[in-house]
Order: sequence, then C-alpha cells, then structure tokens
Amino acid sequence: MSRVRDLVSVAVAGIAARKVRTLLILIGPIVGVAAMVGAVGLTESAKGDLRQKLAELGTSLITVEAGNTFGSKAATLPKDSVRRVDAVATVESASAVAEVKNVVTLPITGGRDYYQAFPVPVLATDTRLPGVLQVPLRSGRWIDGSDVRDHGRVAVIGGALADQYGVLPGEARTIQLNGNDYGVIGVLDRVALDPSLDNAVFVTQWAAKNDFGTDGAPTKMFVRALPDATQRTADALPTAISLGGTTEVSTKIPSDALQASSQADKTLQQTALFAGLLALAVGGLGIANVMSISVIQRSSEIGIRRALGSTRSLIGLQFLLEALFVGLLGGLLGALLGVGVVYLVSAIAGWVVVIDYAKMPIWISLAVFVAAIAGLYPSVKAARLEPLETLRLG
Amino acid sequence: MTSPEPGAPLLELSHVSRVYGEQVKVYALRDVSLQVRAGDHLAIIGPSGSGKSTMLGLLGVLDRPSEGTVTVGGVDSGALPDDERSRLRGDSIGFVFQQFHLIPHLDALGNVATALLFRGLTKAERAERAMAALESVGLGARADHRPVQMSGGEQQRVAIARAIVTEPLLVLADEPTGALDSTNAAMVMEIFAGLETSERAVVLVTHDHGVAATANRVVSMRDGAIVSDVVQEPKAFEGAR
Repeated sequence: MSRVRDLVSVAVAGIAARKVRTLLILIGPIVGVAAMVGAVGLTESAKGDLRQKLAELGTSLITVEAGNTFGSKAATLPKDSVRRVDAVATVESASAVAEVKNVVTLPITGGRDYYQAFPVPVLATDTRLPGVLQVPLRSGRWIDGSDVRDHGRVAVIGGALADQYGVLPGEARTIQLNGNDYGVIGVLDRVALDPSLDNAVFVTQWAAKNDFGTDGAPTKMFVRALPDATQRTADALPTAISLGGTTEVSTKIPSDALQASSQADKTLQQTALFAGLLALAVGGLGIANVMSISVIQRSSEIGIRRALGSTRSLIGLQFLLEALFVGLLGGLLGALLGVGVVYLVSAIAGWVVVIDYAKMPIWISLAVFVAAIAGLYPSVKAARLEPLETLRLG
Repeated sequence: MTSPEPGAPLLELSHVSRVYGEQVKVYALRDVSLQVRAGDHLAIIGPSGSGKSTMLGLLGVLDRPSEGTVTVGGVDSGALPDDERSRLRGDSIGFVFQQFHLIPHLDALGNVATALLFRGLTKAERAERAMAALESVGLGARADHRPVQMSGGEQQRVAIARAIVTEPLLVLADEPTGALDSTNAAMVMEIFAGLETSERAVVLVTHDHGVAATANRVVSMRDGAIVSDVVQEPKAFEGAR
C-alpha cells in the first residue's frame, strides 16, 4: 500500500513540476470529453421541454377505438368493454366514452343558429375518466356516484370549450343540450395526450340514454397500463375486448408520437460523439508524443531513481501513472467544461437542460483509457533506459 | 538492508572482466580482484581509459561483469535478476556523481527523501530522515531550495546527503569534485572525510591525485587492470592535483 502511495506522490510531483507541458497535454482529453458530454447534453437538451412534458404525462396511457372497417357505420365497442379491459392483468384502470350524435349544445339561451353550426362533441362517460387520464379538474368536480344514481342532468366541459364559453372558475351556470338544461359542475383541464376531449361536454350514461336515446356502447376507451407494460397491454387489448367476436379494435399509445419527437437527433449526436472521440484520440497521440520526449529529457531523473533502487517496473509505472492522471484530470475538467457548455447554450436557447450524469464515468474512463494507451510506449521506454547510460559516469 | 558477516568484505570483485563488442572483443577490465572492507576510504585512481568508470559501474551494481563475480554484502550481484539488483543497489550503495544528478523539480529535501521512497516509510518519516541528512552536510537551512537555486557545491552536498540517508554499506563517488571550484571542492571533500565507519566504506573514483590523497587506501588502475593497491595515511584535501 505504501508503495502505491509513494508511486502516486512521485507521479503527481512529476505532473505538477511541468505545469505548462501538463496543461498542453491536458487539452486533448479536455476537448475530447467536453465534446462528448456537450454532444449528448446539447442534443438531448434541445428536446428537453418535450421530455419534461413526457415525464409529466407518462407513457402508460392507451387509447382504444373500434376499428374503422370500410363501410361500417359509427363503430362502437362492446358495452361491457370496461369490464373486459379491467380483467387484463397489466391494466391499472380504464374508462370509456360514448359519443352522442346530433346534439345541439348552447351555452346561452338564443343564438341557436350560430352554435348549431359549430357542433360540440357530447360524450357519455363514467366516473373514472380524469383518474385514468391523470388530468385534474380546472374547477368544480367530475361526475360522481351520486350524479349517476340520482340521474342528474349534470355536465363537465372540456378546458378549451370552457375558454370559448368564457366560463369563470366557480361560476354556476347551465348549458342547453338539445333543449335540456344541464348544470355545469366542473371544467376538465386540458388533456395533452388527447386534445379532442378539450372541446367536449361530458354527461352521464343515464342522460345520454334518457335525453338522446343512445345505447351507451363506447366509441373510445382510455386505459392506463401498469408501468413498463404499456406496449404489452396495448397488444393484448384487442383480444380482451373483442373476445372472439367480430369487433375490430385498434389501440394507440398517444405518448408514442411525443416520445418519438422528444428523441434527440441521433445522427447529429453520433457525429458529435465521433468528433469527440477523434479529439480524444488525437489528444492521446499528443500525450504519447510529449511524454516520449519527456522521457528523454528526464533520463537523468530516471537514471538516478534506478541508482537509488527503483526497479524497471516502478519507473514504468511512474510514467504510466502520470499519463493516467493526465487522462483522469483531463476527463474531469472536460466533463465540467461540457456540462458548463450545455448549461450556457441551454440558457441562451431557452432549453430545458438534460444531462445524463450517470454516463459521466464512461466519458471520463474513456479519457483515462486513451491516456493509458498513449502512456504505454513512453512508460516502456522509460523502464528500458539503462542507468549506466543515462548517468554519464566520469 | 543486507549485512555481511563480520570481517567479510562489504564488496568483493573476484577475477572480474568486462568485455565490450561482439566480434572484436575489447577488454575494459581484465581479471580484476578487489576487496573493499568497512572502514576503507578507498580512492580508485587512474587516467581516462584505465577502466575506472567500468569499475564504478560494476561496484555500483549498475553493470554486470562479463566474467568473474561481484559480491555486495555477501550477495553475488551478477547472478541476481534485474529487480533484485535494483533493490540491492538501493539498500547497499549510495551514489555521488560528478554531475550531481539532482531531480530539478524537487527541492533539496525532496531530492534527499527520494532515496527513501518505496521503503514503507511515511512521508513524514522520509522528511525527518532527509532533514537529518541535510543537516549533517550543513544544508539544513536550504531544505526548501531547488537545485537551480543552489551553487554546485551545495548541490553536491545535497547529493551526498541523498547518498547517506539510506545508511548504505558503501558510498560510491564518481569524480565528486570534478564540476566544482576549489573552495566548494574542499568543502565537499571535508564531508567525505568522515563518512567511512566501522560498518561502511567510501569509494572515490577519480583521476585527481589531490582527491586520492584524502583516502586511506589508493588503488591505481591502468589499461583495465589494478597496478597498485596501497594503504596510506589520509591527508586533508589541499586542492586538485
């Protein structure tokens, strides 16, 4: 142990003694590692806002719709789809909506002609929808069990529709659906993963059946899968819903598109990574070159150390260790510089900084590795020097 | 540290030859035998080309004999692998060179302490012993000076401190005053004068008769052979001759 400690102190003293030279050979690993850290950091940070959004929204939501077989009229899912989906082991929760056709929605009395021209989707749904979507209510509350039991004419409206209607938080108001007054009990916040819900009016199944005469078969389902089981769940759902029937079911993971667009530009990233590797390799050549000359310049030091009892291997290790420290120091400084650049550029460009600190040890070890390879030849050369020749006896 | 049996020579060359060249063999040293004992203050003197540098390499375990054996502290150094020879060198021999060979980026203390590396000592222990050695050559006050900040004489005294800090069996000096002016040479020779002990020998390799006069035994060399081996009364150094 004391040998290692002695060797480290000798190597550190050797590096510290020649500051300008050390600084020069540090540039290679610094630039190399900074380029690699910067390459990954900048390309990832450029999509940082999308990734942040993705992290908030999650990737486990699946939407299910009846397949649009050619010629089939308004496709619907089986009535007990929610129960069928709940039976799938990897499903956390599920909710369904049934679109009610031909409903004229009026925010105010009068103006019927105007609003008729802009149909608003009316969706009959259950009590679970916001929970499955993981979207909060902007104000008020969602349809609950008592609304379902008491057959209340209540409605929740989507965030965008509320904005359009000018609904104020906490305002008690009604809207007219085909002439029936519905009390607006809440406003759903905007649903990033399915913006079609933002303009919708949500009512109970009873209201849909009673006031508009629908059969309550879902036109669309929202399914929250267990973590890491999204794709498997999406694959299993069509079978689970159709159960051998003729219903064609298509599933979609709406976060997929977001995920795809949040992926960093891999080509750019790889190009920059390659440039960083190249800088590191060139830096390695620099280390090998400078250290080889250094061995000649320090032949007297090597000779006297040999005369004082250092073995060949100790001399070799001393120089190898100097190279390793250059790699390590260069790697650390390079990582620091790279992170700094990412923060600086992100601040200027207004990006959300994404830095994978877990990968830092990889970049730094890469610099150490290159430096070790570079230091190999000078080290062997130093170890092979004959003290008798370097000491120039009189 | 190796210690020889009492009365045995610290260092023994037995029928040693050193040959250079493959096809044409040149004898730098031919059938030389020499015993160095504790208390010897030996000068090896001879003109250039007499083989004394070759002798120095062999005595210092820096070179291997072509024929014969070199025994250091009872160990046949020629038979040892390279690493063992390095350790033997570090443990048994202290070197002083004409060109000092101090490590430029270390201060005086660091240079002396370098000799104590890889011996299982802590940094503080090394510094303490190095400081004691520096004080013994009168340079305690210059411990934090680098070689470039010191005169040649001071540098050579640092080198002597480095040679003795390991308490070697043999202090081996190669023209120790060769690069010094007379004042500094005198100061350095004064330090050498007291270095041999009942357990240690000093060997000075020189072409300078003034240096040789300070020894208690003088071995003269010519053409790769010992021509005389005389015990004498040591005199104070009175300048190069």
